Amino acid sequence: MTATSVDRTTADKPTARGSGHRRRIRRAGRATPFLFLLPYAVLFIGFIGIPAIYGIYISLHDYDYLLPHQPWVGLRNYTDLFKGGSRDGADFWQSMRATLIFTLASVPFLVVLPLGIAMLLNKAFPGRTMFRAIFFAPYVLGVAVIGVLFRYLLDPNIGVVNHYLHDVGIDRNIPWITQLPWAWISLVAMTVWWTLGFNAIIYLAGLQDISRELYDAADIDGASRWQKFRSVTLPGLRPVMLFVLTVTILASANMFGQSYLVTNGAPGNDTRTAIFYISQVGLRQYRQGAAAAMSYVLAIILILISLANFRLFRSGEDRK
Amino acid sequence: MTTVTDRPRETAPPPPGPSSSGGGGGGRVLRRVLFWLLILVLTLIFVLPLVWMVLTSFKTPNAATGNDQSWWPNPFDTSSYDNLLHSSSLPVMRWFVNSLLAGLGNTILIVAVDAMAAYALARMSFFGKRPIFAIIVVTIFLPAFVFLIPNFLIVSKLGWLDSLWALIVPSAGGAFGVFFLRQFFLGLPVELEEAALLDGANQWTIFTKVMLPLSRPALATLAVLSFLTNWNDFIWPIYVLFSPDSLTLPAGLSSLQSSARTNYPLVMAGAVIASVPVIILFIIAQRHLIEGVARSGLKG
Amino acid sequence: MDRLEAPISRRGFLGAAGALGGAVALAACGGKSKPGAGGDTGAAAGGTNYNGPAVTLAFWNGWTGADGDFAKKMVAQFNKANPKVKVTMNVYEWASFFQKLPAAVQSGNGPDVSVMHIDDIPTQAAQQVIVPIDSIAKTLKFSESQFAPAVWNGGLYKGQRYGIPIDVHNLGLYYNQDLFDKAGVSAVPTDENSYMDALDKLKSKGIQGSWVSPFQFTGAFMFESLLWQFGGDMFDKDNTKATWDSDAGVKALTWMVDLVKKGYSPKNVGQDADYISLKNSKNAMNWQGIWQVDDARSQKAKIATAPLPKIGTQKGVWGNSHQFVLPKNGSSDPNKQAAARFFIHWFTSNEAEWAKSAKVPAETELAKSTAFTQGLSYLKSFADDVPAVHFPPAVAGIGDAAAKLYDAVQAAVLMKKSPESALSTSAKQASQIMADNKKKYG
Repeated sequence: MTATSVDRTTADKPTARGSGHRRRIRRAGRATPFLFLLPYAVLFIGFIGIPAIYGIYISLHDYDYLLPHQPWVGLRNYTDLFKGGSRDGADFWQSMRATLIFTLASVPFLVVLPLGIAMLLNKAFPGRTMFRAIFFAPYVLGVAVIGVLFRYLLDPNIGVVNHYLHDVGIDRNIPWITQLPWAWISLVAMTVWWTLGFNAIIYLAGLQDISRELYDAADIDGASRWQKFRSVTLPGLRPVMLFVLTVTILASANMFGQSYLVTNGAPGNDTRTAIFYISQVGLRQYRQGAAAAMSYVLAIILILISLANFRLFRSGEDRK
Repeated sequence: MTTVTDRPRETAPPPPGPSSSGGGGGGRVLRRVLFWLLILVLTLIFVLPLVWMVLTSFKTPNAATGNDQSWWPNPFDTSSYDNLLHSSSLPVMRWFVNSLLAGLGNTILIVAVDAMAAYALARMSFFGKRPIFAIIVVTIFLPAFVFLIPNFLIVSKLGWLDSLWALIVPSAGGAFGVFFLRQFFLGLPVELEEAALLDGANQWTIFTKVMLPLSRPALATLAVLSFLTNWNDFIWPIYVLFSPDSLTLPAGLSSLQSSARTNYPLVMAGAVIASVPVIILFIIAQRHLIEGVARSGLKG
Repeated sequence: MDRLEAPISRRGFLGAAGALGGAVALAACGGKSKPGAGGDTGAAAGGTNYNGPAVTLAFWNGWTGADGDFAKKMVAQFNKANPKVKVTMNVYEWASFFQKLPAAVQSGNGPDVSVMHIDDIPTQAAQQVIVPIDSIAKTLKFSESQFAPAVWNGGLYKGQRYGIPIDVHNLGLYYNQDLFDKAGVSAVPTDENSYMDALDKLKSKGIQGSWVSPFQFTGAFMFESLLWQFGGDMFDKDNTKATWDSDAGVKALTWMVDLVKKGYSPKNVGQDADYISLKNSKNAMNWQGIWQVDDARSQKAKIATAPLPKIGTQKGVWGNSHQFVLPKNGSSDPNKQAAARFFIHWFTSNEAEWAKSAKVPAETELAKSTAFTQGLSYLKSFADDVPAVHFPPAVAGIGDAAAKLYDAVQAAVLMKKSPESALSTSAKQASQIMADNKKKYG
């Protein structure tokens, strides 16, 4: 039995309470930490570790798991993506473009609008809890319910949206799900409608975390509403905002269900997102090698974006 | 740690804003009217699509796609519900149960396994701890879809295709919960544990009797986030589940949409049936759910 | 021009069906077994009846339309008549059907019986999703002479039989009689001149008379029909490359796009909206599949069908055939296999019944029988078109190549690309896919 210790030295943030002195107490056997780690380790190795490596192996083959032979193709699945006129090259980059457009178009709305809602909800008024629930409700319904609903509402010919636009004098059928830019407007709008409540709740918690005294001090200085928003609210929300930004970018980059259910990629695969395309290639056309290669390319790009975000977050913390 | 309280904190500014910049009495009334107008418009935007969904589910297929788009179903037709609730190929209630089982199973697995791992990483020292933690954290940055193809093949080899195991187990390998709980554990004072140690308690007792009770809010947050993620998961279930009896609600609705095509009342009825239990659960657990989400944005 | 309910000219129908050529006389019609297929061979040999223990069969198909409802009725009928075999039927949209079926079979959760189109059979056979069923064809005493060659050969892959044909389904012209009356269109268009004439009359009444769908259902089918009408073909003779970018293809697609450009069709027609608008009396003519006949008959608006008009230089009609297949099953329970054979036998013996779900029977003699010609007169116009039907080639992986065409038709109809560039890009991609397929499947 060797001693292990209550180890606070490796803690990222030492706690304010009770820190400052070290105590070593015999608490357990050498195997104990590993026993605690074991269940998670099995899952981690089985469904993160092995797949990450297995995926590379797959991507180096012309892989169709239904066929008896998986021919080795080396890096061809990767190089094909960067070669004009290859089978997947154009389609893959078109789908990457779709993901990029969706992310750029939806993230600003999903970062700004929920903040507005959160500020509304941060006021005291009767029924506040109910309204908070109403704005959050679409999120719990899930993308499938939202998707089939908007597919119907937005149908250019029989949908109720165009029907009422017609009634107010907009005579042409707006091609909500069959033509650009309308299809993007629809996908972004329904995504905002769907997930706005989620982000608003996170903001709301952030708002309530801002010390009331800061506002009082600003009042004493005679600050206007706008000045208070800029010099108290926004800085106070900075970490929360960066969290929302990171989570939203990742969620948007992972967009699949909306275009799968509502536009089905139309018009002409313009709204078929990267994940949509990858899953089709791998699990509908049964070309898993090419699909695996594409997911790695997309993953590398996303990791770079995440790291950039992380640095932004860090530099924000440092400046305080 | 802050919670989103039902009632605003007593120090919150009175509506519709701080009185210092409120102006005269007329302005205040105008502001109040505008404020409520805004709330009303927003509420309509959020509620009307859902109302349309419910009303459509009581229409006949022809009425739902016809030229006359009245709100109220005429004739009032419940056959979509009869069809769905007595259908062996579209067993909506079964999908709901599957979703619930998958969500609960996955959540329990994640919370249990992650808490144990996080405890070891936060409170014990052992060989290789730093590199192990570093490897785990790095994978947070790997998007889930990277594992879509290889995990599909692994799940297929395990014989889990078309079964709920495919939804319960693989995503429990994710690192977020471990990282999240470790941060929380690090923030807890060690005195209680030390006292328990002196009383002769072993690590398992300390973990279950001291750590877990102290960590209830964090565990609840992780549970809520895991459940919501699993409940809303779409891409994975539509590819790994096939038979009508094993689908979850998202996968089932998607297959309902594609198999019923232009029978919109049937699809909307499916969506309503999928929504009602969630809405009820949501109303019951609203506070915990929303507070769980709210906490995820704040550190630890 | 006939209303769906109108009595048909029997002679015309016989003439058309006769062109298919048929030899074996069959007395088959609803409910009865085929003579000659009789003889109890027990459960194991499978086919004509089933004597084993009670089993449940999962039956998957992609019949999402009225045909699915009808198949359900037939399955219920079967279950009632044969208490030992319980068939449960599941419907998936074809696109997701081919994602689910291989994975389900691979994991041992596949169905016991299934149905697919002739152009899907080679791919599924190559991936070992379905198994050869020569023995069933033999037990059921099917032979080539009973079917149109394309239908019969479509069930073959590398010399083995994988599919048992049950129907032919093709495209036809659906028209709204109310709108024709309103615009003074007195005769159903049969060629380009009469088609354009009708469209102009409709247009003068403010009706966009021929909505063009940008989707596979049924815009791409319309294009394929027109391609053949202008003398083109989808692929070259050896199925090594796509040839829809020929002059004929450009003419065909240009004609479709011109319908939109000249205002005979709205822009941006949504999925299925072409047909829904026909029912709503907003659209007067729709090139639509036979599978909508039942639905069209139940509408308030008077909707009738006619053979596809000849826009190009010759007749040409898109069509396909449903065939029964046996998925490879992990459990390989001989009783289930026997029951599955029996079910296939029962279903094919009731082909005339299946025809009521708006299908032309696969067997030529049956298509000529009075049970079909008189009992199902509303399908006459489709049967008339059968001699002009082109079936997709049965080559492994062809679906991925054809999908490129669907993209091209969509891009052109939505006016994102010119017909020429859409067709030539997609044909190049498709040819490459076909070359890949050759390597992959051999």
